[in-house]
Amino acid sequence: MAGTLTHHRLPAVGLRTKLVLAALALLVIPWAGYSYVKAIERLLRENQQQQLVATARGVATALQDRPGFMGTPADGAAAGARAATDQVQLLIAGLARPGLRIWVVDRKLWLVAVAGDLKGPLPAAPGSVTFGPLEGAVQAALRPIYERLYQRPASPTEEFIPNDVVFGGPEIERALDGAPAWRRRPGPGGRAVILSVAHPIWVGESVVGAVVVEENTDAIVSLRNRAMEQLIAVTLIAFSVAALVLLLFASRLTSRLRRLRDEAENAIDSQGRVRALVAGEHARDEIGDLSRSFSTVLGRLAQYNDYLENLAARLTHELRTPIAVVRSSLDNVRMQQMPGELGVYVGRAEHGLNRLETILTRMGEATRLEQVVRSGERERFDARSVVAGCVAGYASAYPQRRFALKMTEEPVPLTGAPDLFAQMLDKLAANAADFAEGETPIEVALERDSGEALLRFSNTGPLLPAEMKDRLFESMVSVRKERRAAEPHLGLGLFIVRQIVEFHGGKAGAANRPDGSGVVFELRFPLAY
Amino acid sequence: MRRRIAIVEDDPAIRANYADVLGKHGYEVAAYGDRAQALAALRLRLPDLVLLDIGLGDEVDGGFTLCRELRTLSAALPIIFLTARDSDFDAVSGLRMGADDYVTKNVSLPQLLARVSALFRRAELGRDSARSEEIVQRGPLKLDLNRFTVGWRGGDVDLTLTEFWMVHALVRFPGHVKNREQLMSEAHVVVDDSTITSHIKRIRRKFGAVDPGFDRIDTVYGVGYRWRADEPPT
Repeated sequence: MAGTLTHHRLPAVGLRTKLVLAALALLVIPWAGYSYVKAIERLLRENQQQQLVATARGVATALQDRPGFMGTPADGAAAGARAATDQVQLLIAGLARPGLRIWVVDRKLWLVAVAGDLKGPLPAAPGSVTFGPLEGAVQAALRPIYERLYQRPASPTEEFIPNDVVFGGPEIERALDGAPAWRRRPGPGGRAVILSVAHPIWVGESVVGAVVVEENTDAIVSLRNRAMEQLIAVTLIAFSVAALVLLLFASRLTSRLRRLRDEAENAIDSQGRVRALVAGEHARDEIGDLSRSFSTVLGRLAQYNDYLENLAARLTHELRTPIAVVRSSLDNVRMQQMPGELGVYVGRAEHGLNRLETILTRMGEATRLEQVVRSGERERFDARSVVAGCVAGYASAYPQRRFALKMTEEPVPLTGAPDLFAQMLDKLAANAADFAEGETPIEVALERDSGEALLRFSNTGPLLPAEMKDRLFESMVSVRKERRAAEPHLGLGLFIVRQIVEFHGGKAGAANRPDGSGVVFELRFPLAY
Repeated sequence: MRRRIAIVEDDPAIRANYADVLGKHGYEVAAYGDRAQALAALRLRLPDLVLLDIGLGDEVDGGFTLCRELRTLSAALPIIFLTARDSDFDAVSGLRMGADDYVTKNVSLPQLLARVSALFRRAELGRDSARSEEIVQRGPLKLDLNRFTVGWRGGDVDLTLTEFWMVHALVRFPGHVKNREQLMSEAHVVVDDSTITSHIKRIRRKFGAVDPGFDRIDTVYGVGYRWRADEPPT
């Protein structure tokens, strides 16, 4: 499986990160809220200004064309002037209210009358709390940040109208020139903004004075700040909740996918057996679909593997009968009086038949072994005597090869079947003898290694192809390239080794020698105590 | 009187080949293709020997069933199982079907003939109680080469023909190792190594049934098997 190599290189940007990045799109919501609050503020300001202009115009209209009210100092009558002032005072006192100050000046900027003050009512307590205590907590937490961002407006506490306002106000000058005007001026201490509107008072064709209406803009600023704070808090809460939900969702998704991946990766073990997937088996979403379709594919693979493993057994069985027909027929022919030439052909036919039978026997070996393994009779034996006996026997079985045996002095007790163990050694020896090259002996070693028995078969010769290392011990897998000799090779030898190793509770592995000169088969077995 | 052999085998070609060769060697042959037909005919007249296939048509174990039925008719009738499956060896022995021998179908006809005549000899000598001439005695072991019977410490060991020949091969030269090929040729069989192993296992078990302390057959790993000679009396 080439895939196993690439799997562990995790993607640089995980699914979770991507989802959180996508959640940043939510930031458009506070921006929209901010614009909305700004627009409302502008609207409120304009509205306030229009109101003030209307008030100023109303007062000016009430006072215009009534020279008595705005008597010029040249007329001189102090008592008359006093009475007029009182009347103006009376008029504007009815219109003034806390936070709204109205005053009237004459052409010489003498203050004729003044009513109301700028100390407005405190902005209304925050009314609508959208998230209850949660929002309260967030607001409290953010308070220091707000304080740094902007100063809270303080109600202007101007007791008297400052001289510079009266004498330096451009809106008053413009009003005395005959045009209504307005301006925003800073309140005392510079913290509040006061909106001031001036309107000329006409008597006939000339301007005799001006009405100035002032109001602080605290209420609007407070309202805006309040809305901003609320906006920030709500956005923060909504964003956190959304991000948290997304993060949980992404985490769950990621972990499910990881589990699926891990399972899919391990679904085919090193011995080529296939397990079904359980992760997301019953989920009704796409991951469930993925898992199920994986399972289907794996199921088919398992069927195919089964088919391969049973193919040998089935073939053996099915071919036995026709072979028996051929053999008994040939035997019958042999028992006749045969002309000389016929005997040669019958001999060849029998030779071919024998080879065919050897193949069948090999194929049936794995199946028979499975039956023995299933019967499960185990005994305790010393692996050393089996290895020593077998390796001694190989000298005569493979006269063209040399075997070098290295064995520990300590006993190597195993639980299993010594006959099977010997059969396994035979397969490993046959394998090594087939692949060995040159004069170097085949090395066989039996050691005790950290509580395990370690058996090693090593021969000089061609290396294992990298992609075959994990599959060597599967049924009908062979790395043999050319056909050697008359011995049939079905790729069952190492499959049998694997079955026997597993019967003994051990593990089999194959690798190339570190120096690249050959191949090592390494088998580990648990020691019996 | 010609000896009568019944062949029960579902494959017509094998059936005909076996019938031909047995007929040529002077036996009277009756061949049947399925269990019902064979049972009906054999009930009327019992043959002297039966060659029995295990799988009969649709009946996977039809041969086993027929064997049991024949055993109720006669306890002494020699029966040889013919099998296509190696695993049947274990089934035959495990079920203790009362067969005298069993061979795979790849047995050669001369080997088959050797078995048939050996079984006839055994049946014949078993009938008349005349004392057999050919006895091999190895300490507590007694082999009767004519009746193909084995005794161990006075008890009878119930071996099949194949097993008997293997034991005979081993005890002929006690202490000598016989490899698997030698055992095969002496027992007139062609099987693979692991089947020899299971034959030996069964022989040990059968001796063990008579004498639980039996340990005379040694495995020489990588080579073969050996009959351990008697220890010198102490």
